[in-house]
Amino acid sequence: MRLLKILERMLAAIPVALGVAVLAFLFLRFLPGDPVQIMLGDTKVSQQQVTALRHELNLDEPIGSQLVHFFGQLLHGQLGTSIIKDQSVSSLIGGALPATIELTLATVFVALLIALPVGILSALYQGSWLDRVVLSGALLGVSMPSFWFGLLLILLFAVEAHLLPTSGRISPTLLVERHTGFMLIDTLLAGNVRAFVDALKHLVLPALTLGVVFAAVLARVIRSSMIEALHRQYVTTARAKGVRERVVIIKHALRNALIPAVTVAGLQVGELLGGNMIVETIFAWPGVGRLVVNSIFARDYVVVQAAVMLYAITYVGVNLLVDVLYTVLNPRIVL
Amino acid sequence: MRRWKWLVILVLVLLVGAASAKKLSFVLDTTANRADEAQAIAAQLQKIGVDVQVRVWKSGVLSAAIKAGSRQAYTTDWGSAYFDPFDLGIPKLTTGGRGNYSFYSNAQVDKDFKIASTTTSDAPRAAAYEDAQQQVFKDAPWIFGYVLKNIEASSTAVQGWGPAADNSESLVGASVQGGNSLVVGMRTDQIITFDPAMYRDRDTEAVLRNMFDSLVTHTLAGKVVPQLATSWTKVNDKTYDFTLHSGVTFQNGDPLTAADVVFTFSRILTPGAVNGQTSPRAGLLGPIDHVEALDATHVRFVYKEPFPESLLLQALVHFQIVPKAYMEKVGVEGFKKAPIGSGPFQYERGSLDSQIVLKRYDGYWGGPAKLSQIVFRMMPEPSTRVAALLSGEVQIIQAVPPDLVSRLQSTSSVSVKTAEGTRAYQIELNNKVAPFNDVRVRQALNYAVDWNSILKNIYHGYGQRLATAFLPSGFGYDSSLKPYPYDPAKAKELLKQAGYDVNN
Repeated sequence: MRLLKILERMLAAIPVALGVAVLAFLFLRFLPGDPVQIMLGDTKVSQQQVTALRHELNLDEPIGSQLVHFFGQLLHGQLGTSIIKDQSVSSLIGGALPATIELTLATVFVALLIALPVGILSALYQGSWLDRVVLSGALLGVSMPSFWFGLLLILLFAVEAHLLPTSGRISPTLLVERHTGFMLIDTLLAGNVRAFVDALKHLVLPALTLGVVFAAVLARVIRSSMIEALHRQYVTTARAKGVRERVVIIKHALRNALIPAVTVAGLQVGELLGGNMIVETIFAWPGVGRLVVNSIFARDYVVVQAAVMLYAITYVGVNLLVDVLYTVLNPRIVL
Repeated sequence: MRRWKWLVILVLVLLVGAASAKKLSFVLDTTANRADEAQAIAAQLQKIGVDVQVRVWKSGVLSAAIKAGSRQAYTTDWGSAYFDPFDLGIPKLTTGGRGNYSFYSNAQVDKDFKIASTTTSDAPRAAAYEDAQQQVFKDAPWIFGYVLKNIEASSTAVQGWGPAADNSESLVGASVQGGNSLVVGMRTDQIITFDPAMYRDRDTEAVLRNMFDSLVTHTLAGKVVPQLATSWTKVNDKTYDFTLHSGVTFQNGDPLTAADVVFTFSRILTPGAVNGQTSPRAGLLGPIDHVEALDATHVRFVYKEPFPESLLLQALVHFQIVPKAYMEKVGVEGFKKAPIGSGPFQYERGSLDSQIVLKRYDGYWGGPAKLSQIVFRMMPEPSTRVAALLSGEVQIIQAVPPDLVSRLQSTSSVSVKTAEGTRAYQIELNNKVAPFNDVRVRQALNYAVDWNSILKNIYHGYGQRLATAFLPSGFGYDSSLKPYPYDPAKAKELLKQAGYDVNN
């Protein structure tokens, strides 16, 4: 029954993605700026060449027939070829997506590692010095611009302490063959432990930059919903029954307190999967965010269209995951 | 009755005020990277009584609005691939030119440019360019600006390398004390392709020129010298013959012959020749007709119209020769996965958007390179590049922002090096509509901007004033022409003549 519901929700994502694709298609074409002019740059080109190129890319057709052409390609499972980058869109996005997913997972890990204990402890010792430190720390975390924090980490850990690399995904001497695009998995597939450790080191600073902000948001939510849960009657009942305090906190209070936290985390993960252009630029991380933002500036229509569709599907998927998690945390909730 | 009197007086006062307060006012459009500069200029103009409103745009959007003719004044820049005004002055200032965003038109200048791009001997070309500079200087279609230096930095252990005016990072002669590999921190987030027919940007070229050789190449200072061609002769105004080095091999062992050269150029010149796509590079060669092989080591370039030798040579620097047999065997897609050239370094592994690892090609015709491995790492954020150089992860970095130079100069293990830039920065004015259809107003603005203070304070002295739209590194540059001096009094006088009110 639940599987059917999940399948139904997944199918519902398709019209959403298509609708978003049409909107993206139209908006992009109403933006001023000509991809052919941007692509050819400054150097001497005849009008004839410009016209020929525009024809080659179907940009001389009316918008309606461009749209039909786009969906025709989509039905054949083709996303087209980038106007600017001399590569198919699927290979561009397919190349960048694993880097973004890897960073997102590491970020979630860092965020949970910080937010869970911090949120729980500050709820338990509400009003104490610990709680106050956490609250102001969280405020700092939320308001810190990521480019500043990222550069600070680079200066501290790479330039001064020489503990971690400044940027990139792996050292050039340890670069292994690409199978999955996930550096941690590829290095393990190659059986190269040194490369795996090196890739892990490269992940630390960008994951920390994104994770601290994420953790700050999450810790505040966990703290407040924990405080609320700790005052609920079922917690008092559990304590009255003589359940050990640790079990009360983890099983009775935390489990219920996690529902709002999962909602917030879901939204954040959806955003992270879109890639963070700033962090990807600072850490020379070849992810989706950088690809999309640069494609928008270059008016690389096909790449942006595909990315927007991907974003829509990601959000629907993450929301579905959040809903499923609700039912796990509280079986009374149904899909 | 009383009320009426007051109203009449008020109206009169307003009318008189409006008539006398005919101030020059306009909107200056800019993009985020030059917003500080635009604000500084606005403040300078404000001092003499010109009202300037700065508006910051996204570059693609702004250039569309400029081309539509709907803007008044805008910061622009234009790069030159040649050390010749052929692709700077000509597209920017010819009537109807592709880059003529100021809508400037002067029949004499058009005539000069026609001579310069179709005459094959140097003296009349230089004379034509010089005349064009004089004309353009007088007409002042833009607020003429500056050229910035290319600032790059390297570890002091690196030898045999220097930044080039055309941003190429030639590493064939480079060595590193105590090591045999080197990493370059590139300014871009990704290069476009490994197919030498399918890119237009300089960053891709910087990598490719280490993997592929061309018929000729530039020295760091921009002089054309032989590479795969040993010599060339001008047969007539439209025909040039090149003799190839013998004994050159591609990295797969195949010999390089005239057939490879012809193949390289015909896939660029023939529409749709690259898997149905057309190369964006054809325009760089000018009005060329075709390229043909005379025998195994001789190639002929045939033009439709007379074309200067120096322009052809400068263009050929940017065309990397590809192996015909290999490309036909593996196809374009296969070639992009495993590119083969005749250059000193050979593709080993990596990807376009993160890092590219090249290894030495031991059979290189010019003798093997000193380094056994070079790496190009894509590092779009300047602060990260600087950090990586300081931490020792990379040995060379491109595009050091002027404000970070002092940080690097205070470190003894790092040295900062500069090369002449080839990009002109200026403020273009829409010459077609008021107020900038009046030459006095345009000249006045040229006198009213204190560029030296802007170059000093914003670009930390890494810029050089330009008298017109011509670069000092280009052919036919008239060094006797001095830039408009900063002279607010002269500017005010010209504005008054044009009928505007100025501050005293």
